[in-house]
Amino acid sequence: MPPSRDDAAVFTRIFDQHRHAVHAYFLGRVADPELARDLVQETFLRAWRRLSELAPLPEERQRAWIFTVARNLAIDSYRASAARQAAEEALRHHAATQDTTVAGPHLQVELDERLAQLDAAIRRLPEDQRVILSMATAGGLTSREIGEALGEPAGTVRYRLSQARKQLAGERLDLEDEA
Amino acid sequence: MTTPARHDLDELLAAWAHARRLPDADAERIRQAIVPAVPALEATWWSEFNSKLSTAITRATATPVPALAALGA
Repeated sequence: MPPSRDDAAVFTRIFDQHRHAVHAYFLGRVADPELARDLVQETFLRAWRRLSELAPLPEERQRAWIFTVARNLAIDSYRASAARQAAEEALRHHAATQDTTVAGPHLQVELDERLAQLDAAIRRLPEDQRVILSMATAGGLTSREIGEALGEPAGTVRYRLSQARKQLAGERLDLEDEA
Repeated sequence: MTTPARHDLDELLAAWAHARRLPDADAERIRQAIVPAVPALEATWWSEFNSKLSTAITRATATPVPALAALGA
């Protein structure tokens, strides 16, 4: 049976509500931006196929449902050695190839360098801290929402987030001199 | 208290998050790849529907021939 307009609208609402968080989660897990995008698409494709099951759930249970799928996909991607190699390769050159939209060529170069340093430092974080940091910053989720998504207590999320920030601050001591 | 270093880290993390976020255009491409196009109604659908409806109403309200005969019409 072809999808209805209502199905498409319901899916779009769910997609818009969770896409940043899901993408941030995969960024934290797999590093390779292309792979992260592919995994976002696969996650929401499964959501679309099970829309009748997903749509009636309250928001927090939708989030948990979506992240259960996302976690399984991340595990599958780890098992694929080609994907792992791509992620490692991306880690090596990703930091040097990012651009942002801040004015001024000199400031831009400086910001790029600092972002590259930060990116490298984030990649050195333990995975559980990196995922939570990515979800909190790029995904814009609260500790409670991250906890719902990952099945962790909010207190644990806050602790890991704090540890991640502490480690980043420790790795970036030059920040104090620059500020 | 917010130290200069912490303030700087917050700003840098915000810039990092901005640079890493999934662009809206990419998100839309993903959404379109997932949701098949919902078939649009044919251009003649509405006029055909009205025509069928009018016919059905006319038939339903017309007095049947045997009834007219019984009335001596």
